[in-house]
Amino acid sequence: MGKIAISSALIGLVALASPAEARTLSISWWGFNGEKLEAVVLAPFRAQCGCEIVLETGNNGERLNKLQMRGGMGTDVAYFSDSFSQQGIALGLFQPIDRSKLPNLDGNYDLARDPQGGYGPAYTLGRVGIVYDAAKVEKPITSWNDLWREDLVGGLSLPGITTTAGPMVVIKAGEHAGVDAFEAPDAAFAALAALKPNVVKNYGSGSEMVNLFSTGEIVAAVVQDFTLAQIQAAVPSVTWAALEEGSIATLNTVNIPVGAAEPELAHQFINFILSAEVQQQLAEGGVDAPVATAVALTPEQASLWTYGAELIAGLERVDYGKMNAAKGAWVERWNEVFGM
Amino acid sequence: MPTRLHPALIGVAGLVFVFFVGPLVIVLGAALSDTTYLTFPPQGLSLRWFENIFAIDAFRRTMLTSLQVAFLSTFLALMIGIPAAYAMSRHRVHLPGCLSTLFVLPVLVPELVVGFSLLKNVAFQLHAPIFLSLVIGHTILILPYAIRVVSASLAQFDFSIEEAAISLGSPRLKTFFTVLLPNIRSGIIAAFILAFITSINDVSISIFLTGPGLSTLPIQLLAHMEQFFDPTVASVSVLLMGLTVVVMAVVERTLGLTFLAK
Amino acid sequence: MGLSARARYSRGQFAGQALVLPAVLLVLVGLVLPVGATLSATFGAPGGPLSAYDAFFASGFRRTVLLRTVSVALTVTTIAVVLGFCTAYVVSRAPGWLKSILIIAAVFPLLTGVVVRSFAWLVILGKNGILNDALMGLGLIEQPLSLLYTPGAVVVAMVYLFVPLMILTLVGVLDAIPDELIQASASLGASPMATFTQVILPLAVPGLIVGAVLVFTGSFTAYATPQLLGGEQVMMMGTLMYQQAMVTFDWVSASTIAAIMMVVTLGIVAVMNSAARRLNPMAS
Repeated sequence: MGKIAISSALIGLVALASPAEARTLSISWWGFNGEKLEAVVLAPFRAQCGCEIVLETGNNGERLNKLQMRGGMGTDVAYFSDSFSQQGIALGLFQPIDRSKLPNLDGNYDLARDPQGGYGPAYTLGRVGIVYDAAKVEKPITSWNDLWREDLVGGLSLPGITTTAGPMVVIKAGEHAGVDAFEAPDAAFAALAALKPNVVKNYGSGSEMVNLFSTGEIVAAVVQDFTLAQIQAAVPSVTWAALEEGSIATLNTVNIPVGAAEPELAHQFINFILSAEVQQQLAEGGVDAPVATAVALTPEQASLWTYGAELIAGLERVDYGKMNAAKGAWVERWNEVFGM
Repeated sequence: MPTRLHPALIGVAGLVFVFFVGPLVIVLGAALSDTTYLTFPPQGLSLRWFENIFAIDAFRRTMLTSLQVAFLSTFLALMIGIPAAYAMSRHRVHLPGCLSTLFVLPVLVPELVVGFSLLKNVAFQLHAPIFLSLVIGHTILILPYAIRVVSASLAQFDFSIEEAAISLGSPRLKTFFTVLLPNIRSGIIAAFILAFITSINDVSISIFLTGPGLSTLPIQLLAHMEQFFDPTVASVSVLLMGLTVVVMAVVERTLGLTFLAK
Repeated sequence: MGLSARARYSRGQFAGQALVLPAVLLVLVGLVLPVGATLSATFGAPGGPLSAYDAFFASGFRRTVLLRTVSVALTVTTIAVVLGFCTAYVVSRAPGWLKSILIIAAVFPLLTGVVVRSFAWLVILGKNGILNDALMGLGLIEQPLSLLYTPGAVVVAMVYLFVPLMILTLVGVLDAIPDELIQASASLGASPMATFTQVILPLAVPGLIVGAVLVFTGSFTAYATPQLLGGEQVMMMGTLMYQQAMVTFDWVSASTIAAIMMVVTLGIVAVMNSAARRLNPMAS
């Protein structure tokens, strides 16, 4: 008995004593495309800075809340989609970025350089749109209104209300009903209720949605375009719908929390991911659309992405101030539509 | 001795056992499949999904964390629980009756509530390190097992042996270690095993108490399932099942398994 | 020796209290205080002491979640009681060697952990899963059924989770019923059915109640299984609480759910305990 006690204690204590020699950069991101990011971003940066990297993964909502719980500490570089980083800024969780430390910013599109008033830059541009499995959906999808089609019953997945794209579905439901969702939420949610029979499951993360395609549970989904490459790897017949009304723009930003232990390293990391080389590799690898203007893609590669100045200029932008204000009430109403 | 049983009853029981074993066999089969998606029966046999477990950094780290937490909290639970169980057997008259209710509270209060409360009031408000909160949560979770199992063992212990040793001049503390503990050895081993397994498998308390770089194996498994629906999940499951088999073999050698039915 | 009885008594008192102190402290500091703080936080909501609860019960969605959780838990408990009792009865009457094997087979799932056991059902019930493949292979259906993310899937997986627990609880109780009682009943002319309902069942009731309480509270407060197999469409108290705490970050709402969870589980335990005391003919 004594032996068990002593050996347990020893194992516990020894295991706890982890060597802390190298500097550690703590990154908070989604975890999606983890292997590619490891190869293109993490491994080279580790070699460059000689530091260790610790990851926190999860979706926007969870990570933002955990960061808030920790008082902005414990993370050096935080990736969020722009609606969530807007919330983070309002909560006072991020520190202003020293743009003199980010020379690579000059090579980026104007709208990506400082989207949120002195805080983190955008490192990728995305679109929210619809994807569908062309092998299983006979009539192509060409409009947001097609989501309500009868042949999609039991085959659709929507982004959960707590994700980036969730509230945009509400906006589109409003348009389907012919109203502005902010002015007339009742009509918008009635339209959503009409959509319910088509929905199998709402997804909480990009990877979950890819799963739903690969296991055959769904044939169509409202998604952000950065997931397209992975979906097509799992189910090659999935295509991005060419929507007559166009898509909605999203920017993903990277910020430095107020309590970061390694702000210097953090600035170096941000500059690194904004470089044309990294952006080129990530774009070609099907990870993220580039913000660096120098990135050159073949038309085939570009078809996956939000790429090209013209396309970017034509995207719809959401008023995040209005959206974040309405979000609380929308979460409740969404739950009433889908959870009951 | 066996009384006659209605064949329908035997049929139901048989089906139930198939129902138990079936899914686990399916998971085993899926883990061995040479496909990148989950399928049963397996198409082609391969061990690569087992290799994949150790290749994935997150699984390695969380396996280590789970083991650390399990050892620490089991050790603590025994350190705290054995004296408590002893006191409740030996000095029962001096202790308030409500104590046994107090020690069974962790079983009655929903785990989710305990985990959430620890996060909110200990980790957040008191700014306690997350790892510490995790260990506290697990220790509380398994304390009732430790106390209950050791108490059961103590109930069968003849305290007059202890009395005799003391009356022969042996100091109390020494008697505790040399007379008492060896006699309840099987109870302590059982408590250790039950507590350890409970801690390793725990989800509901751990789900709240994770942070950057800190997570336990079951939680990581849940997260992985949301990302990759490949057979790695099945192979981790098989690994966990294997751990259980090993543990059960140990229990069978030392205690006999019908013990667990009590 | 050599101490007066009085001195030995007070020394015993000191020893007893000192030995339990660490355990008491741990439970107080780690459980009672934090949970108590969570509970009291629900009374501090801006609208007044009970406003958090008003808000909960006023929300149609939340009422649905509560009712759904109760009905799922009741369904699971009923099925587990029936299946568990039949199986436990067979196990307790089995010959020694078989009995050990059966008990091992019953214990093994319990020790494998909730994620593994829930995951198995994802593989079985999916559109590309075994059940759909079998049904289509038999020609019973043409398109795969959407079985996942329904209350049924959650019920099946939770029955799988809890029947072993029920069996283990009942085997102990049934074993304690002396064979002589059953033989006496038969020799007095009672039919097997009458023996079952009038001798065995009443004696098994305390075990049944303990098992049922364990299964109900376990199902009611579950998280991993509803999360994996239910999703947003089949939101239950456990998953709602997690969402409110970690995603929506509404801690008062999460604490309210926690409080209601506790009231329900502790209430059921209390009611069942008093029922058990009254129903047990061999009250000890």
